[in-house]
Amino acid sequence: MTESTSDHEGDQTTANDETDGGTRVTSDSVDGALADIETKGVVGYNYAYLDEHTKREVRRAMLKAVAIPGHQVPYASRPMPLARGWGTGGIQASLSLLGPTDTFKVIDQGADESVNAANIRRLAADTADVETTTDTTAADVIQSRHRIPEEVLTDEQRLVLQVPITDALRKVDSSDAANRRRHAHRNYGKMWVHLYENVVEYGEINIASRYPTMVAGRYLMDPSPIPRWDVPKLDDADHLTILAAGREARIYAVPPHTSVEPLAFEDRAFTVERFPEEACDACGSTDTYLVEVSSEDEGTFETRYACNDASFCAKRREDPALTKDHHHDRAGVDWGPGTPNTDAGGETE
Amino acid sequence: MGYVAVTAGEEVIKRAEQLFEKQRTEGSSADLGIDQLDEQLSRLTAQVMSESGLYAPRLAALAVKQAQGDTIEAAFLLRAYRSTLERYDETITADPREMIASRRVSPAFKDVPGGQILGATKDYTQRLLDFALAETERTDPTGDWDVADAGAPDRLTNVTELLREEDLLHEPDEPDIEEPTDTTRESVSHPPARDAVLQELARGETGAITALGYSALRGYGQVHPTLAEVRVGRLPVRIEHPYTDEPVTVTHTDVTESEAVVPVYEKREDPQFAFGYGLTFGRNERKAIGMTVLDASLQLDSEAEPAENAEFVLDTIDGMDSFGFIEHLKLPHYVTFQSILDRIRSIRERQGMSEKDSADTDHETPPVAEVSNDD
Repeated sequence: MTESTSDHEGDQTTANDETDGGTRVTSDSVDGALADIETKGVVGYNYAYLDEHTKREVRRAMLKAVAIPGHQVPYASRPMPLARGWGTGGIQASLSLLGPTDTFKVIDQGADESVNAANIRRLAADTADVETTTDTTAADVIQSRHRIPEEVLTDEQRLVLQVPITDALRKVDSSDAANRRRHAHRNYGKMWVHLYENVVEYGEINIASRYPTMVAGRYLMDPSPIPRWDVPKLDDADHLTILAAGREARIYAVPPHTSVEPLAFEDRAFTVERFPEEACDACGSTDTYLVEVSSEDEGTFETRYACNDASFCAKRREDPALTKDHHHDRAGVDWGPGTPNTDAGGETE
Repeated sequence: MGYVAVTAGEEVIKRAEQLFEKQRTEGSSADLGIDQLDEQLSRLTAQVMSESGLYAPRLAALAVKQAQGDTIEAAFLLRAYRSTLERYDETITADPREMIASRRVSPAFKDVPGGQILGATKDYTQRLLDFALAETERTDPTGDWDVADAGAPDRLTNVTELLREEDLLHEPDEPDIEEPTDTTRESVSHPPARDAVLQELARGETGAITALGYSALRGYGQVHPTLAEVRVGRLPVRIEHPYTDEPVTVTHTDVTESEAVVPVYEKREDPQFAFGYGLTFGRNERKAIGMTVLDASLQLDSEAEPAENAEFVLDTIDGMDSFGFIEHLKLPHYVTFQSILDRIRSIRERQGMSEKDSADTDHETPPVAEVSNDD
């Protein structure tokens, strides 16, 4: 009924005399007891919307996912007050992680302002009583639809990626039963053949996002539709990444300092998206993921490029020299394209 | 930067919600009461209860009102609400043979024990718009019927019982589990147990169940069942009394049940009918029969036809899943689309099809087929 049964530390703010078993109530009638308990967030709903058993189940699935990096762990996936396919897996993971002292950031395709991101943020703020932020470095939990922020995540942050399609092998076989067998046997031949056929047909691998990626040398993982640009950020990262699918009811994870390797051939290397000769129209960055913005000017179309990570772009406008690891205690952190030591995407600077 | 309120997005959402509510309230007619929906549009509330898996007629009526008649949206509201409710107890397994049937037809036999009960149906009326309905006061056309009290209804023998007695009916395999599966608490994995299949079908979207069931009859399947019977009626909901352990009836639910036999011989040496089953909350014969066809088809367990492939059927019939994912395409896709643009441009460059000369060169079809990346 209230936050009192929550597992979160620092959660006991309404009553003074808590025991491990929950909030002690003094009234001698049930109605009186109910009236005594203050409900945080939306009236009539549990803290962080989900009941405590569900949150525990989701956390257990996450722990299992951390223990077997890249392996898809089934969980019940409750119906949420958001449409399925709109981040319901992500929000279940986020609400199960969040406590009232946490700060929460939600990104949709790089932007905090997106209405769906605003809606998810509103649900968490209303039901879990959390601070929200658009500043990547200020967030404890970041829920994101298809981007990993440009600023390096630290070992104190958790990234929750929304997942539409859980299995990289779905591309080559629609059967979940068959694909589970392949994962069990580490049999990824069909994916390799698919990539090879790509090369034969097009001269290169034509997978745009959802790039098939090997985790800890064992499981082939669908990294969610993050651009290829973001895939190298998962490799040996300081932060924990939880990938959560609501509709397909699966959770998987990339724990900190786990090897994440996109599938590629010796003579056909993994490449990230190219933005040749382009810089962000707003902040001038040349080391960030850009998206095209078209405008019409007297009958002609003009295409400009702009940073996709709106939060970082705003900071770069203030300080163009800001590095992606400016908040880190060590400099030169490897964080995908445009950062030192990157071995991916030879076509970036 | 610290806390930055993104008010613009939230303000816009609020306004959009208010505009939606305005669509319902801007007319000059009286506000629709929950009772009106519950009593006069019961087919609608029944469909919503069936697809949400929650039997709660008044809440369903409220959901229909709030969703402005969108059945999937209403079922979605109920499911989201249901998921926040504590589960106190489980009911004692209902036995459909106990049903107090208000309608029962058996297409398999002319005469069946207990007889055919036509009950309330539009099946044999002419579908003519009744313009009088737009004007007149409500009247009960059965008001002057002289109905004798026949006492408690007889228990109807299921038509399939007759076939079972003759050993003509193949019994589906008994599941080797103690507790029934609950797909709302345990996600479906393949191959699914039959009780999981039946639960998913019972919660499936009516249109999807009808379409996929029809596909099996239309030629994309082996199953053309004969319905043993279709029944509409009430079933008691019983729980074990917490103190006395005696079963007590706490309420009744309206259900539609359908059973079918399928001339697919399970065993060569012992030809028997296969069996299909359908049960939904409320009055929804179309869905119950569609479910029956799908249950029978899925037992064939083949990848040859869509309706016989459990993965295909269960992955596509859930209204919440399909509506959510179909409509998510309205969300921004800038990032993924930029990624796709990069691939298609790169491949065109590699094949010497730069932007300018592509129009007048005679290349093969551009490689767009697989570049589109689903997310």
